[in-house]
Amino acid sequence: MSKWAMVIDLDKCTGCGDCIAACKIENNIAIVDPEEANSGRVMFWIEMVSVYEGEFPNIKIKRFPKPCFHCENPPCTKVCPVHATYKNDEGLVGQIYHRCIGCRYCMVACPYTVKVFNWYEPEWPVEFRKCFNPDVSVRTKGVVEKCSFCAHRLIKVKEEVDLEGRDIQDGDYMPACAESCPADAIYFGDLENKESKVYNLAKSSRAKREMENLGTEPKVVYLSKRE
Amino acid sequence: MKLNVVNVLIPIIAIVFIFALWVLFAGQSPIIQPISYNHKVHIEEAGLECIDCHKYAESMTRASIPNIDLCEDCHGDEPISKSPEEKKLIEFIEQKQNIPWKQIYSVPDHVYFSHRRHVVIGELNCSNCHGNVSELTAPAQYPFLIPSMGNCIDCHKQLKITNDCLACHF
Repeated sequence: MSKWAMVIDLDKCTGCGDCIAACKIENNIAIVDPEEANSGRVMFWIEMVSVYEGEFPNIKIKRFPKPCFHCENPPCTKVCPVHATYKNDEGLVGQIYHRCIGCRYCMVACPYTVKVFNWYEPEWPVEFRKCFNPDVSVRTKGVVEKCSFCAHRLIKVKEEVDLEGRDIQDGDYMPACAESCPADAIYFGDLENKESKVYNLAKSSRAKREMENLGTEPKVVYLSKRE
Repeated sequence: MKLNVVNVLIPIIAIVFIFALWVLFAGQSPIIQPISYNHKVHIEEAGLECIDCHKYAESMTRASIPNIDLCEDCHGDEPISKSPEEKKLIEFIEQKQNIPWKQIYSVPDHVYFSHRRHVVIGELNCSNCHGNVSELTAPAQYPFLIPSMGNCIDCHKQLKITNDCLACHF
């Protein structure tokens, strides 16, 4: 069984935010009013985190994209009272919107704060309504959502490879963020496949996992020479 | 004045009964198509296969419902039969107006259902979900198998196919 994982090379990442735009379009993520966004209700499935170090004028900025970490041992799934969020056999942490009751326990449990809540019925500009991705459902008010590693793409890829009578190969299944990254800083693949790029990069000496001490075993690995 | 219990109860019972009937049968009203299409004639006499008209059943998520652009390949200016339904079709073709077919089978927005996956990879027959359409002389008014999650899960369990939520919901 595959174990899908992402490796983000921070030494390559320029912080351009292309992954965020691609994700927003691919997954029909609601556009939030700027005032509400400022009060922390902004909706992204992959977020660009900026960390400032030092004092002006000698400031060092670290920027890194933060999607859902699809933990091997996810804290969010354990608190969901209705099994709307769960980890499947391939290690993807799913969020089933029509099962979600909006209690937001999972948002509290997630140490990476990657889940977002639909505070309002999403309002779309007319132009946007015509270009929804038909493969991803449009969420309603009152449900929690998060990065799915573009699970809808996996289903399509599975269909394709089944028709061709072969197994999924490295590079067949790519989430929108990895596909759009102009610096090729995001790698995606199967950790169980020893020939995959992700398997080898995750073992690299530059590999770091966020909040490793919590035991969540995140499947998003950062590569960086810097501390 | 003494309240007559019967006079009060009867209207209440009647209202409850009508409401119960409405709940039971709402949404199950028969679907009448603009043209009474005869599947049997098209399959037996014209020798068509399902895939000839529902073109994308083997290659896309949606099987597609054919419209005048496909019908006019066979039904030109002169009617082939004496059927009054064909006359209706020819009128639609002459006016270059699409036939407003009503969809019987549909899944909600949060469900991913792929015909290709079921027909080609799953090797299911159309009749598994749509019934014996080749015997229908008029369009079906109700779905043969209601595309509900219960029906999906039953079949998936029977055929030992994944019941992972992420296989259909994203």
